[in-house]
Amino acid sequence: MSLFTACRSMAEWTAEYLLIPIFNFQAGLFPPFSNPAGSVADWLGTDGGLDTLAWTYAVNIAFMVGMTNLILVIHLERKIAARIQDRRGPMLSLRSLRELKEDLAGEAPTWKFKDNYSGIGIIQNLVDGIKAITKELIVPTKADRFLFTMGPIIFISSSVFLLVLFPLSDRFAASSAPAGLMVIMAAFSIAPIGVLTSGWASNNKYSMIGGMRSAAQLMAYEIPLLLSMAGVFLLAGSFDPVTIVEQQQEGTWLFGLPMWNIIPQFIGFIVFMICILAEVERVPFDLPEAEAELVEGWTTEYSGIRYMLFLAAEYIRGFAGAAVATILFLGGWAGPWPVPPEIWFLIKVYLIIIFWIFIRWSVPRIRTDQILELGWKKLLPLSLINILIVILMVEIYPYFSNIITLPEVF
Amino acid sequence: MAEMWISMGPQHPMTHGLWTLKVKVDGETIVDADPELGYLHRSVEKMGERRKYFMNTTLTDRLCYASSTTWTHCYTHTVEELMEVEVPVRAQYIRTIMLELQRLASHLMWAGAYMPDLGHITGALYFWRDRELFLNLLELPSGSRLLYNFIRIGGVKRDLPNGFEEKTERILKLFEQRLDEYSDLFENSKIFRMRTDDVGKFTAEQAKNFGITGPNLRGCGTKFDLRKHDTYEIYEEIDWDISTREAGPGYSDCFSRYMVRIDEMKESVRIIRDCFKKMPAGATLASRIPVRAHGEAFRRTEDSRGEAMMYVVGDGSDRPYRWKIKSPMFTTMSACPHYLKGYKLADIPAIMGSIDICIGETDK
Amino acid sequence: MNIDEFMQQLSSSKGVSNISKIRKNTVKLDLTKEESLDFFVSIKSEFEHCSLISAIDNQPDFELVYHFSCMNQSIVVDDSNCAVMLEAHIYLKREAPSVDSIANIWFGADWHEREAFDLMGIYFIGHPDLRRVLLPEGFAGHPLRKDYVYEIHEEEW
Repeated sequence: MSLFTACRSMAEWTAEYLLIPIFNFQAGLFPPFSNPAGSVADWLGTDGGLDTLAWTYAVNIAFMVGMTNLILVIHLERKIAARIQDRRGPMLSLRSLRELKEDLAGEAPTWKFKDNYSGIGIIQNLVDGIKAITKELIVPTKADRFLFTMGPIIFISSSVFLLVLFPLSDRFAASSAPAGLMVIMAAFSIAPIGVLTSGWASNNKYSMIGGMRSAAQLMAYEIPLLLSMAGVFLLAGSFDPVTIVEQQQEGTWLFGLPMWNIIPQFIGFIVFMICILAEVERVPFDLPEAEAELVEGWTTEYSGIRYMLFLAAEYIRGFAGAAVATILFLGGWAGPWPVPPEIWFLIKVYLIIIFWIFIRWSVPRIRTDQILELGWKKLLPLSLINILIVILMVEIYPYFSNIITLPEVF
Repeated sequence: MAEMWISMGPQHPMTHGLWTLKVKVDGETIVDADPELGYLHRSVEKMGERRKYFMNTTLTDRLCYASSTTWTHCYTHTVEELMEVEVPVRAQYIRTIMLELQRLASHLMWAGAYMPDLGHITGALYFWRDRELFLNLLELPSGSRLLYNFIRIGGVKRDLPNGFEEKTERILKLFEQRLDEYSDLFENSKIFRMRTDDVGKFTAEQAKNFGITGPNLRGCGTKFDLRKHDTYEIYEEIDWDISTREAGPGYSDCFSRYMVRIDEMKESVRIIRDCFKKMPAGATLASRIPVRAHGEAFRRTEDSRGEAMMYVVGDGSDRPYRWKIKSPMFTTMSACPHYLKGYKLADIPAIMGSIDICIGETDK
Repeated sequence: MNIDEFMQQLSSSKGVSNISKIRKNTVKLDLTKEESLDFFVSIKSEFEHCSLISAIDNQPDFELVYHFSCMNQSIVVDDSNCAVMLEAHIYLKREAPSVDSIANIWFGADWHEREAFDLMGIYFIGHPDLRRVLLPEGFAGHPLRKDYVYEIHEEEW
């Protein structure tokens, strides 16, 4: 049973027993006058009304799942960063414990692990959100007020839009567009418009340079990104996430392991991972908000919940980027039986995110000209080579059909 | 994009203190720059003229919070020359140990501040974690964590505490291990090299003309260290080498300045060990310390940042008639339009961070 | 070149008087204001680094003290690798104290001269950009002069 079917039956149930009686009751309150509640109740009885209600439920569920993941990702980032950086206090790593004993005093360290650790630190994210909401929203005097307000809205809405586009499994999907991945990539590239808008509207030179950098970075990385995805599309013959994941299960490799796209298209995977890192603007590619020289880049002038929306949107985009990588190259939700596919999918996504967090806290940021050089001179040829490999593989496949099996594509 | 002026500072992550760098950029390329100082001017020289000689050590401590002992030492050394005070040998050894510990702490402070300039937050926490060890060590004899006021005219405040040598040795061993570990994270890292190689280059001739001294000059291959070339305390008797960079990749750029400081830390470790080995027993404060002074004297010492110099004129009273401080960063920063020109906007933190700015001493 | 030979060589230059050795590696001399620029140009090849320019208010007259450092070992002190320093004194009159700028010879002298102008009010002729450096623009008076009283200048600023 897919998510939509479940939502549909839930919609039928709620419409019949909850919503229609309520609206009918409202319509009956003032009989002499025409009341819109009556027509709403009539509409809920039709197929279209029930579909709409089912969609609302499905999208809300996807949104809630995404937001839960957002909080988890931020929590994970904080915890892992603290452990990588070996911060003093309860985050201190076990390795430092050994070294601290050789510290100045030559005595046991004065701290200990919290023995009542309950994982309650996750509430910190909610507290941060509440703090951000209560802060003043400052608009600079000479800023373009309308665009300044629109920037965060464009950025966060295009990012939240991503959450409903990718499926957690073939049954847990709010939407299943045939061109699903293309729509995801299109939604990805809306956000830089928000960045440029807010960078320009802030009337701040740092913000403007940040916005410009973001545009240049997008230009340089969108093309190799899509070209590295093209190999997968060629093999699967479809843009549909479900088809792509199913196709990866068909081929087998050594010992009968499923041949996920990461194996034949390893170059494509590498190119994709670098490009998606640049696309979601994480270290070492977070040039638009390089805090060393541009203060905070295009978010310099923002405060309160607007700034927090930018931060949240970046994590959502990171989560979505990892999800796309999982679908394309890591076999999506496929995995051994006892664990449900949704959990398999999330495990893979979180592994990628943890990998990114490790990168983020262990490398410096690279420079604008270097990032453009990398994008145009290295990643673009590599992604073309990847496509070439895929085409050759499909062409010479018949000679190796007794060793490996590939789906028939062409 | 047309050319425009961007004002970086006085509140900016790059500045490491209170100063303004106005840069003229064409797109992302730097066309011109204009540094502005004075936000932290506390008129130390004027204050010093109103205070007695021995009182001024509290002012010199506050010249640079990252390396206060070296500045106090520079002052006391000059005044000792003016007053013709003989410092006991043991006090000279203790001073050398304190100076080198301070140099380690200062270089670690610099390394920690340099990493976020390159976007590497973790590096900052690693180096500051190690700096904390040396601050603990400096706290043991002096009693305070940052501004020690330990070196006095005619010697040092008190002798080293019991067990200081063992504790120092333990920390030095730990520190050496960690420096080896960091080499993988920093100097062997491809992205770190991309950011620092061939950035902020100036030749040795230019550097001397600009008035750039210390590790920045040694990064250009010049083997010049005042500890050897205008020797003071007991550096002559200690076994150590000047750390420089030979011509080749990573030469006279940000990376060479980074490597020179890392090598200097290793040399400091050597110096401290050798000092403990050779340290004699004896008094730690001169028996006769005059209060008044007449005449003029100057001394220069190798600060963590370069050539620190003080020029003191006494008129026979117990207060200096004129007290002039030479800060190595003052001249180094004055030349920054020359070595910033032509690089990218993102190189500004990489270059200005690599020369190790301390605004406290620069603004005096 | 040994430091003693160098001192003998100096004694033939114009405007130089009172040459003496105040430490084993430091030569001290007095200069006249008029001949200073020629003298500084002539020593540039040995002394590549201008360490410090200090201005002193000797009441009534001013004194400028230049410190130069020799980094290339072209002048040596016997039996050591000690770097030689040169200390030059120039005496200036109190009324409109001015001297030729050496910022075009040593770039490092640029801000030292600006500082001397800022805090002591000495004018350097030919300086490319003689502004205040530590005090803000528009500050009245030169606070390191001995006759500086803040209360007089308080209202001007």
